[in-house]
Amino acid sequence: MKKLVALLMALAMLLSMTAAFAEDEVVTLKVSSIWSAETEANRKPMLKTIEEFEAAYPNIKLEIEWFEANSWKETGETLALSDSLPDVFYWNAGGVLWNLVSSGDILALDEYLTDEIMARMEPGLLADMTFTVNGEEHVYQLPYTKAASMLYCNTELFDKYSVKIPETWEELITAIETFKANGVTPMTVGGADQWPTNMYTDIIALRFAGDEACRAAYYKTEGATFMTQDWIDGMAAFKQLIDLGAFPEDAASLTRDESEVAYFAGEIPMYVHGQWFSGSLSPEMQQKVVAVKFPAVGRGYDNQYMGGAAEGFTVAAYTEHPQEAFIAAQFFAENLSKNGYISGAGLPAWKYDFSEYTDLNPVMAQIKEATSTADSMLLWGNTALTGEDATLIGQTVYEVLTGELTPEQWCEDMETIFE
Amino acid sequence: MKRVLSNKWSIAVFVLPTVLFFTYIVIIPICKSFYYSLLSEIPAKVGDQSEFVWFDNYIKMFTPGRRNDFPGAVLNSLKYAALSVFVQLPFSLLISLILANGIKGESLYRNVFFIPVVISSVVISLLWQRIYKDLVPAIYEILSLDLPKNGFLANKDTKMMAVFLPSLWQFVGYHMLLMYGALKSIPTDIIEAATVDGAGGVRMALRIQIPMIKPMLKVCLSFSLIGSFKLFDTPWILLERANKQLPALSMYVEMFSNHKYSYASAQAMFIVFECLAFTVLLNMLFKDRDGIVSKKGRRRLSA
Repeated sequence: MKKLVALLMALAMLLSMTAAFAEDEVVTLKVSSIWSAETEANRKPMLKTIEEFEAAYPNIKLEIEWFEANSWKETGETLALSDSLPDVFYWNAGGVLWNLVSSGDILALDEYLTDEIMARMEPGLLADMTFTVNGEEHVYQLPYTKAASMLYCNTELFDKYSVKIPETWEELITAIETFKANGVTPMTVGGADQWPTNMYTDIIALRFAGDEACRAAYYKTEGATFMTQDWIDGMAAFKQLIDLGAFPEDAASLTRDESEVAYFAGEIPMYVHGQWFSGSLSPEMQQKVVAVKFPAVGRGYDNQYMGGAAEGFTVAAYTEHPQEAFIAAQFFAENLSKNGYISGAGLPAWKYDFSEYTDLNPVMAQIKEATSTADSMLLWGNTALTGEDATLIGQTVYEVLTGELTPEQWCEDMETIFE
Repeated sequence: MKRVLSNKWSIAVFVLPTVLFFTYIVIIPICKSFYYSLLSEIPAKVGDQSEFVWFDNYIKMFTPGRRNDFPGAVLNSLKYAALSVFVQLPFSLLISLILANGIKGESLYRNVFFIPVVISSVVISLLWQRIYKDLVPAIYEILSLDLPKNGFLANKDTKMMAVFLPSLWQFVGYHMLLMYGALKSIPTDIIEAATVDGAGGVRMALRIQIPMIKPMLKVCLSFSLIGSFKLFDTPWILLERANKQLPALSMYVEMFSNHKYSYASAQAMFIVFECLAFTVLLNMLFKDRDGIVSKKGRRRLSA
């Protein structure tokens, strides 16, 4: 009997030791994130999110590699060719995500997404993260923010030159002309990076052609076309801004960072950019800047926005730890959503009660307020389109900016994506 | 040792690791790229769905089209090659001749000219970016001149030259050092004999020094031409995103932005063939010249 008890005791000890070892087993996940620069609005929220994750999941070790956004896009696509993407990583939604989904690099997250998790997410944000593969629809990404293009106005300069913050296209033209007359460059854009120019052309095209026509064109729906008067009018309106001298003379050779320097210095009154830009504003600038809806043109599409859920976290299809990788991706998405909004870097994509926070970024709060009543939100053309179509929209818009293409030629060139 | 080296099997054993390594990292990837270039436009990762389209990708590269800029990219690379051969190399040769003939501060100048070569192309590009965006506009403003529309780096008439200039400048020192080394290795008795015969600076350079460093000039010419066809880093940094104005840039954009792997492989193969063709051409050119010289020399000897 004694022997039996001793044997059972030994067995119990062995089991508890095994359990203890199992508990201590550490899984290492490779993570790639953008926001490598200290000045990036999402850098601090992401660092805080990582801290929170490490405290919540001590048995999951993170090996994080930071990149600049463009460089990560290119590196990520190169890594995908050799099936070496990290376990969890930041990626754009829409066509950019589809590139990796279609080549089998991204894990479908459906089996891990419980109803309870879905209930915590803002509704309607997974449209550009859900794809049909082999006849089945799957979710491949979790958003951490909701994006929106806004017109950022420096009220100090508007007050100084007695200019009204534009609500209509005519008011915008008047504002540009007044600023020009006073020797102030009215707007800025980083043309060399191409995508900042798309911010302007997309929102102007949306005002002239509307969500339905733009969505059809960007998602290449059957019957969609760029060869309509609305598209030509939209691009002509953008050309009008160029011809009025709204942008710096060397805008086409400026990168985004270079183009924003003058805005941060309080020398430029207007800038069309994504909501993340409000997080890059200093506390002093946050008091001077207001983010407003892009001016109306009166064609019935004035409460529509460019944006939506355009970025998120994904899991590599070949990760050795899919469960842990999903936990990390979901945690990053949900907590960065919270931390990003608190720090003023982005609009939340997950439900959270922010009432206890009294010192939120006022510009971000304006964007949250404005977009809460949006009629629709449409992903930017260069994100919704894929591969060479996305390159083409960037290149052609750049050529309009440099004066190499007319609005009509732009429409003709873009029409080739349907061939 | 001599006996070992005279044994062909021994040589084969010594050379084998390098041959295997070279085959693995150069020959096999080239063959693979050629294979991919014959496939349809399907990502290489799902190669089992690809089909052979043979030389369609090569034909497409040179089919005129509004947005097919590969022929233009090739033309740009040829312009850069011409500038390298007719501007960069003569300038390098001139500096090396001046330095090799002995001037005060020879070693200082030699090092100063070589400094850009040891600096990373990325740093050089960023340096020139500031020159084009800050310094040049400031000079133009002082002189009350009009800058080209959109600035030097975004104006279609000036952008390629603005990109070529830093690369040409950067590698002047590299070719200069190669030529300088060759000039310094010319036996002093030949130089002295020529001096005694009354050869001055120009005649010495044209009749003695340049002919004697011809093998090195051939090396410089090869490096310069191949470098021109592969130029990538400086324009990638200086010009707008996703531009395809040089063959290597076009290949990169087609591969990593447009995901047209097979088409990009065809462009890569074109660059390989272009480099090979020019190297062979150069060899033939110099071989013929060598032949002419040696025949002339033999004739003179027999006379």
